Amino acid sequence: MTDTSRLHDRLLITRCLAGDSLAERALYDAHVERVYRLMHRMAGDADLAADFTQETFIRAFERLEQYRGDSSLGTWLHTIAVSVALNGMRKVKRLHGRTEAIDNVPEIAIQPHGLTGDLRTRLFAAVDALSEKLRPVFVMHDVEGYTHDEIATTLGIPVGTSKARLFDARAKLRLALAAFAGDHIA
Amino acid sequence: MSDDNFDELLAQSIRDYNAPGAIPREEMWQRIQAARAARKGVPPLPAAPAKRRMFGAPVWIGAAAAAALVLSVGVVIGRRVERNRAPAVAAAQPTVQATNTESTTVAKGPEAPPVSDRDSIVAAIRHETQHTAQRARELASAAPAPRAAGNADETRALAYHLVVMQHLAGSEAMITAFRSAARRGAMDAQLASWSRDLLSTTRLLETSPAVIQDPTMRRLLEDLDLVISQIAQYTTRGQINSDDLDLIEQSIDKRGVMEKLRSLPVGNAPVGT
Repeated sequence: MTDTSRLHDRLLITRCLAGDSLAERALYDAHVERVYRLMHRMAGDADLAADFTQETFIRAFERLEQYRGDSSLGTWLHTIAVSVALNGMRKVKRLHGRTEAIDNVPEIAIQPHGLTGDLRTRLFAAVDALSEKLRPVFVMHDVEGYTHDEIATTLGIPVGTSKARLFDARAKLRLALAAFAGDHIA
Repeated sequence: MSDDNFDELLAQSIRDYNAPGAIPREEMWQRIQAARAARKGVPPLPAAPAKRRMFGAPVWIGAAAAAALVLSVGVVIGRRVERNRAPAVAAAQPTVQATNTESTTVAKGPEAPPVSDRDSIVAAIRHETQHTAQRARELASAAPAPRAAGNADETRALAYHLVVMQHLAGSEAMITAFRSAARRGAMDAQLASWSRDLLSTTRLLETSPAVIQDPTMRRLLEDLDLVISQIAQYTTRGQINSDDLDLIEQSIDKRGVMEKLRSLPVGNAPVGT
């Protein structure tokens, strides 16, 4: 985080706390895209992603005075966002029982060229089935391109733990796909 | 499967995982605003009506013709404001000027263009804005046309289209006037009520049948909604603030609002039909 961006964050926050609606909109504009993308990746549903994003910003504006500046404003927002998404997904799963274990995914026909559509479906189902600890790290790092530093700060874990969880996530995906991909993609 | 092959395949395929589509930026912002206002017990800025309404046809034939006639005039005089001011802007010293909302009198800066010219232009466009807002409200609240009305649907669509175009012309003029005042370091009190009227009309039109069926127009109105909302808040506060002006300029530039407004095929509007 550069001094300039830290200063910009500080200025925006000060103005937001003073009730400046233009600054609130500027803060929203600066971060909404990245937050929404992550929410969509995690939720897999546009309506849920919008709900989580809205709730993130509502909470952020309510708690803005609690922001200490230890991390960037974006990272702080993402901490709220991931928390909102994980809690929201738990509720959704409880309501709909939509968690699908890898073993329940329909058998697929293997085709000899690369990652077929079916295998990709299998991969996505395997990512869905990752645990609550592994999936956010995998999605943030391998799908959205966050650094381990960003992930660690956002999730409140050490960098080493972030790396270890990514390693575990990949290992589980490899295991889940190996039986189906076999020699065709080796 | 080797680790290298797996990682390569993973990198190729995983980017499509739960890939997001278009971000509903404006919808989310309006809901955030509404939720926060509800929690604070403060009414938000005028919201678009939840329900679309149809409107009758015959009365709008005249309205459509009138809308078309003023459309070109609005655009032309809006751009004229900017041209007239250009030579004076460089020489003008930043001075805080205030106007009375009810009158069109503007305190004169040392190098400002003729006040009567500028004010008569602004007053004329402001007057048309009020007419457009009234027409938009009437369109939205009118009863559906009877089935026997024949080509009533086309006529209604035309009437709506012309009101939208007229509204866009008025919006361009207001934004131009706002920017011009900002460059002079002035705060024009007329702009507060003008921009709030335009904001209400924008939100009314955003849910109109003609706009809902036209994604390009809908996006333009959403962009306008944001920009006019910012201008309304800024001018209502009545205090010059360079940071706020920067944010408004950023919104205008980032969304290419003026370029989009100026690229509208005004010359091809079906005037008089």
